[in-house]
Amino acid sequence: MPDTAIGAIAFVTLLTLVVGARGIRVARTPDDFMVAARQVPPAINAAAISGEYLSAASFLGIAGLIVSQGLGSLWYSVGYTAGYLVLLLLVAAPLRRFGAYTIPDFAAGRLGSTGLRRVATALVLVIGWFYLLPQMKGAGITLQWVLGVPYWIGVVTLGVVVSGNIAMGGMKGITFVQCFQYWLKLCAIGIPALVLLIAIGHGSDRNLQPGSAPVFTRATLVQVPQTVEFTLARPATVTVSGRVDQRNYRDQAVPLCACQHVAGAGTRLGFAAGAPAPTSLAMAPPARVSWDSPFATAGTDGAHPLASTYGVIIATFFGAIGLPHILVRFYTNPDGEAARRTTLIVVLLLSTFYLFPTVLAVLTRLHAPQLYLVGDSDDVILALPSLLLSGLPGQLLAALVAAGAFAAFLSTSSGLLVSVAGALSHDFLRGGVTSFRWCAIAAGAVVTTASLLIGRFNLALLVGWAFAIAASSFCPLLVLGIWWRQLTRAGAAAGIVVGGGACVSAIVATMAGAATHGWSAVLLGQPAIWTVPLAFGVMIVTSLLTQATVPGNVGQVMLRMHLPEALSRHDYRPYSLERGRRSPGR
Amino acid sequence: MSEQETGAKRQVVVWRGDQVPVHHDIPGPGDLRDDTHTGRVLIGSLVRAQLGLSLLCLMLALAVTVSFPLVAALVPAVGQMKVFGLPLTLIVLGFAFYPVFLAVGWFYHRQARQLEARFTDLVDPPGRGTAQGRTSDRHA
Repeated sequence: MPDTAIGAIAFVTLLTLVVGARGIRVARTPDDFMVAARQVPPAINAAAISGEYLSAASFLGIAGLIVSQGLGSLWYSVGYTAGYLVLLLLVAAPLRRFGAYTIPDFAAGRLGSTGLRRVATALVLVIGWFYLLPQMKGAGITLQWVLGVPYWIGVVTLGVVVSGNIAMGGMKGITFVQCFQYWLKLCAIGIPALVLLIAIGHGSDRNLQPGSAPVFTRATLVQVPQTVEFTLARPATVTVSGRVDQRNYRDQAVPLCACQHVAGAGTRLGFAAGAPAPTSLAMAPPARVSWDSPFATAGTDGAHPLASTYGVIIATFFGAIGLPHILVRFYTNPDGEAARRTTLIVVLLLSTFYLFPTVLAVLTRLHAPQLYLVGDSDDVILALPSLLLSGLPGQLLAALVAAGAFAAFLSTSSGLLVSVAGALSHDFLRGGVTSFRWCAIAAGAVVTTASLLIGRFNLALLVGWAFAIAASSFCPLLVLGIWWRQLTRAGAAAGIVVGGGACVSAIVATMAGAATHGWSAVLLGQPAIWTVPLAFGVMIVTSLLTQATVPGNVGQVMLRMHLPEALSRHDYRPYSLERGRRSPGR
Repeated sequence: MSEQETGAKRQVVVWRGDQVPVHHDIPGPGDLRDDTHTGRVLIGSLVRAQLGLSLLCLMLALAVTVSFPLVAALVPAVGQMKVFGLPLTLIVLGFAFYPVFLAVGWFYHRQARQLEARFTDLVDPPGRGTAQGRTSDRHA
C-alpha cells in the first residue's frame, strides 16, 4: 500500500505544481496575481471555488466525526453546503458589483476608513491561521498514516509545496489548480465510496440499530499499530497475542471486562462475530448520546444537544460568507449576475461531494468497527479501503483516498495562504508582487511551525471554529454593509472586535481545556450561538449611536452594489475605490 | 458670432419660479447617477425588494433545517425512527436537505433576475435605448 499511495501523492503534488506553473507566464501585474484578471466563466469558477473550499475537514474530518460522534455530525456537511446558499442569498451579487478583492478592501471602500481596514486585515490573519492549522494537521496525519513518517514531515512538506507554488504562480495558476482539484477530490472520495458500497454494501445492519454500541459482524483479527487505551461496551472474551493490561499473552483467550484497557503496540486481538468493538479514547462518543441522534454534540459532553446543534448551524451557515479565501474568488466573476450563477453551481457541486463522506462513514460503522480503535478520528477514511477490500483493489482505492486528501490540503491551504499573504502585503506593507511572494513564504513558515503544536482536535471541529470566528465578525460586516445604509465605521469596528474577540476567546478557552461539561462546554465549544447575535447587536447599536459619521458617499456605494449590470454598464460608473489600480472596469 | 454682426435683437428670457425643469420629469438613469430624490427612492425600492426576497428564501431554508432537531428534541421518537431500514437522521441530514438548498437557490436566482429586469425596464424603458445588454435581453 505505501508504494501506490506515495506514487499517487507525488503525482497530485507534481500535477499541482505543473498546472500552477502555467500561471507564471500569464501573471504579470498584481491584478493578475490577485484575481486571475476576472476572466473565468461560471462553471470553471464554481469548480475552483468548491475545490478551494473542500478542505481536510470535508475530506477526512467529517467522516471521522460521523463514525466517532454519530450521525449528528452530518450537520457539518449540511452547514458547509448551506453556507453557500446563504452567501448566494445575501452577498454574492452586490459584493461582486462592489468590486473589491478582499474583505479589508470592502471595509475600507464601503466605510472609507483606513483604521477599519487594519482591524479587518488583522482578523483575516486570525481566521486564515485557524483555518490553515487543520490543513497542516491533515497533511501530517495523512503522510504519517501512508508512509509511517513522523507527523512533522507531512506538515513541512505541505508548507513548502504550497508557499513555493504561490510565490511562483500567484492566483492565475491557482484558479486552474483549484478547478482541477475539485474534480480530483470528487473522484478520490466518490469512486472509493461507490466501489465499496457495491462490493460490500449489503449485509447486516446491526450497527445501525438505535442506541447500540458497534459490534463485529464477523470474526475479526485486529492489529494494534501503537499503544492504545480502549474501552469495551460489554464484557467479551478476546484472543490476544501480545500485551494487554501490562500482561503478555500468546494466542490466549482472555476475558476482558466492560472497562478501560491498554493494548501494546503490535498486539493482535481476535474478536468473535457479535463481540463488542473496542473503542479508543479518541473515538469515544459523548455519554448519553445515541449514534443515530440528530444532534451535533462533538466537542461537548452531550449535555444540551439542541443548543450545541444550533451553535454548529449558525457557525457553518453564516461562516462561509466571512471566509477570507472564498470571497476573493467572487471577483473573478465578470459581473453580479455571473456571481449568482457561480454560487448556485457551487451549491450543486458541494451537495454532490458531501454525499460520499456520509457513505464512507456509514460503511465504516457497518463493516469495519475495528476502526473504532484508531488513535485519531481523522484516520478513519484513510484506513477504510484496504480493510474492506483485500489485495490490489483495496490498495488502489487507499492510494486514491490518500491522494485526494492531499489534494484537499493543497488546494485549501493555497487559497488561504494567498489571502493571508495578500492581506499582509497589500494592507500592512503596501507592496507589490515581490512583497506578496515574500509574505507567502513567511506566512507559510509561521503556520507550518504553529501546526506542529496542535494535534488532538478533529479536523471538522477545528474548521468549524474558523467558521464560527468568520460568522461572528465578517458576516455582520458584509451583510450590514451591503443592506443597511446606516452602518458606520465605529459600529463596524466595534462589532468585529467584540464579536470576533469573544469568539476567539471562547475557542482558545476550549482548546486549553477550560470547559468540558454542561452549559460552559456548549457555550465555549460552539460559541457562534451567542457571538453571532452579539456581533450583529453591537454593530447595529454602535452605528445608531454614531449616525453623524455615516459616510457621505453611502448613496453612491449602495447604487454601485445594487444596480443591475444593464444599467450600470452604461455611461455612469458612479464610484471608484481610493486606489486607481483597483477600479472596477479592470 | 456677435449680436451686432447678425443685427438680431437680443431677447432676454427670464426663468419663472413656477416653471418645472423637464429633464427630471420622468425617472431615468440620470436620477440614479445624479443622486436625486427620485433616484434615491428608486434605488431604495430595489434594495428593499431584493432584501425581502433574500430574507424570504433564507427563512425558508432555515425553517426546513432548524425545525428537524427541534422536532427531534420535542419528540425523541423522531430521532430514532427508521425509514427503509436506515435511520431517519441519516436520510434527512445525509441526503434530503441538499435538494431543498438547490431548490431555494434556484428559486432565488430566478426571482432576483426578474426583479432586476423589471427595475431596468422601469428606470430605462426599452424604447429609450440607453441601457446596453439588459438582463432581460441576455437571458430571454
